[in-house]
Amino acid sequence: MRTLEMAVGTTLPELVIPLTPTLIISTALATRDFTPVHHDVEIARAQGSQDIFLNILTTMGLMERFVTDWAGPEALIRGINVKLGVPAYAGDTLTFTGTVAERDGDIGTVDVRGTVSLGAHATGTVRFSL
Amino acid sequence: MTDLHDLAAKVIAEGEGPRLPTPSPVDRTTIRHWTEAMGDTNPRYQGPDAIAPPAMIQVWSMDGLNGRKRTRAPLDDLLDALDAAGYTGVVATNCEHIYHRPLVPGEELTSATRTTDMTGLKKTALGDGYFVTWQVTWYAQDEPVAEMIFRLLKFRPREERSPSEGRKPYPLRPAVNRDTEFFWEGARSGELRIQKCGDCGELRHPPGPVCPSCRSVKRTYAVAAGTGVVYSYVVHHNPPVPGRETPFVVAVVELPEGVRIVGNVVDCAPAEVEIGMPVRVTFREMDDELTLPLWTPGES
Amino acid sequence: MAGTALAGIGATEFSKNSGRSELQLAAEAVFAALDDAGLAPSDVDGLVTYTQDSNQEIALAREVGIGDLTYFSRVHYGGGAACGTVAHAAMAVTTGAAEVVVCYRAFNERSGRRFGQPDAGLGGEPSSMGLEMSWHVPYGLMTPAAWVAMFAQRYMHEYGVKSEDFGRVAVAMRRHAASNPAAWFYERPITLADHQASKWIVEPLHLLDCCQESDGAVALVVTSADRARDLRCTPALISAAAQGAGAGQMMMTSYYRDDMTGLAEMGVVGRKLWEISGLRPSDMQAAILYDHFTPFVLTQLEELGFCARGEAKDFIRDGGIEIDGHLPVNPHGGQLGEAYIHGMNGIAEGVRQIRGTSVNQVADLENILVTAGTGVPTSGLILTRG
Repeated sequence: MRTLEMAVGTTLPELVIPLTPTLIISTALATRDFTPVHHDVEIARAQGSQDIFLNILTTMGLMERFVTDWAGPEALIRGINVKLGVPAYAGDTLTFTGTVAERDGDIGTVDVRGTVSLGAHATGTVRFSL
Repeated sequence: MTDLHDLAAKVIAEGEGPRLPTPSPVDRTTIRHWTEAMGDTNPRYQGPDAIAPPAMIQVWSMDGLNGRKRTRAPLDDLLDALDAAGYTGVVATNCEHIYHRPLVPGEELTSATRTTDMTGLKKTALGDGYFVTWQVTWYAQDEPVAEMIFRLLKFRPREERSPSEGRKPYPLRPAVNRDTEFFWEGARSGELRIQKCGDCGELRHPPGPVCPSCRSVKRTYAVAAGTGVVYSYVVHHNPPVPGRETPFVVAVVELPEGVRIVGNVVDCAPAEVEIGMPVRVTFREMDDELTLPLWTPGES
Repeated sequence: MAGTALAGIGATEFSKNSGRSELQLAAEAVFAALDDAGLAPSDVDGLVTYTQDSNQEIALAREVGIGDLTYFSRVHYGGGAACGTVAHAAMAVTTGAAEVVVCYRAFNERSGRRFGQPDAGLGGEPSSMGLEMSWHVPYGLMTPAAWVAMFAQRYMHEYGVKSEDFGRVAVAMRRHAASNPAAWFYERPITLADHQASKWIVEPLHLLDCCQESDGAVALVVTSADRARDLRCTPALISAAAQGAGAGQMMMTSYYRDDMTGLAEMGVVGRKLWEISGLRPSDMQAAILYDHFTPFVLTQLEELGFCARGEAKDFIRDGGIEIDGHLPVNPHGGQLGEAYIHGMNGIAEGVRQIRGTSVNQVADLENILVTAGTGVPTSGLILTRG
């Protein structure tokens, strides 16, 4: 049944992540990233950012979640390749969209795009096997 | 500039550094903390047969709140040299993970880093800078289990300007959509990108969503060498054009890659432009957002 | 199209400032065309115009008192639509979708929005058109003169064509217009020296290589040949009508095709016209060739088969396209001399030549070829004496 839904061109259900300060800080700490710009708004602003923002390890984790939420536990993530764009600031909303780009037997690739109000935050591919 | 490239070549030639143990082993508590924060409910990360979420790979290498004494790596010398040369800004541009196999709680890992590439000097929207790429490989004993390829831009920050002093927006803006944004992003990072079919490899400009040769919608791009020859051109005199001083030259440039592209020929008198003239690409920031690939006289 | 005809033509005066709305201009032209045919507004059941026209068919129908409409359509691509409106009308009449179709074009193109002025919004929207423009507009390549000049430069390079060769087209058109009282340039001929001395617009084009922006309207009545024979004027039979776009076609910047010296889309139109009509270039006693800019008159002569590729410069030398030459082109003065009404005034002249009523009448005329906008997806007609 899964294989039919995973045909090339299939659109994944959107994943919408409200970027609360709690989410930004808890994911930063859960990825053991204690850089102040991910949890201290004063320091973030002093360095020219408009607010605290998502760290890259979390972006990778959410890309993974976006694909496994849809593909289910039988899918094993084999690789993630991301081009990083604009920052994902606290108070914004991060929306992941994606389509199946390739399917070859048990291996699939999804084109993923994570967008915030400023534009593309992360654009890339997630590869999985079944 | 040359010595930055020399240093980069030296650092790259050193190859993979020593394998150092990661600060944390793969462990259940960290996994649970991570899945909670990510909102990831995948059952595969729970229970007696749990695996670690593959995207956690870098977490095992994080130094933690108090850090620890890290051995200085050759890469640090390169990044320091870039700072010293004025490229003090830093922004990550690419991150790629490759997972060779899933990891399970209890595994002890080591990791090793190698610097793989430095390109530049490139003009970017943030400022001129160098892209530095390195690769980390994680091992369980001698088995490579995962890799990360990470690229960042070290850039020279632009002169500070208050918003009122910001450049006037250039009035002749392109419409951009998902089929064409790669081109304009390329221009911003100093690359002349030509759409390339991901299946049959055909190059095409102007780009579009579907390969006319094989119907593929798998689009990639090639970075053009940046040379070309004037195939045709005009000298615009009248009427006045917003954002432009007349006269100016617009040319159809034929690239050695086999496609044509339109752009201005700059840095020479209009009367010197002729069909067959060799040109070289240059990137001009028209305002804070738009960079156009233009053409200057080149060597034959 | 066999069995259809142009039965009426009408126009307003051609000016730089009409002083009235575009809808009023359209209505006046339609009344003139219907009066010319001897038909009433109530006889009309179809309307066709350009996608660029600002007057909706229903608005025009309300103004002139047309009742039920059973056919209305629009043709795209700027002046390339001109003969296309007649093609659509003729198809509607042939299929029975309508009996009497009026084609119209009305604009204040000098006193209102001027096509020759740069419009920074051309690349504004990510429609297919906006994206196409976006490869050119950011570089300031954004006026029709500039788009055409890019083709002209390459054409000159490949075939050794000189600016004077383009100038000869302008001189011929202004000679024709000089004896046409309806022409903006009535009694104002030019010399080749005037052409060469005129200021640069976009090199290699001088001012006198370019038509001038105009206000005005033209309307045409299309019906069956049988019905046309019962009407007031000699019918101009539509021997062929065709539209054309070529491979790799763009709106006005088809610079990415292998050959930049031709007009592939006009080649498509030409082949179709000859195929449908069974006629050949040598059967034409005159031609109405779209002349918003001089260089494409040369290219059209080649694409339509009046001469070989690269030989148009010789074809037009020594008055070759003037009223007494081997192929009189645009006896009314064309858009360079009469007015730029997006090609519709040329179709009206084609009808007058068939009727034998032109102020610059070509003797013993049986067939005339008419073309529409050049450098864009385009269209063409062959009109024949009934």
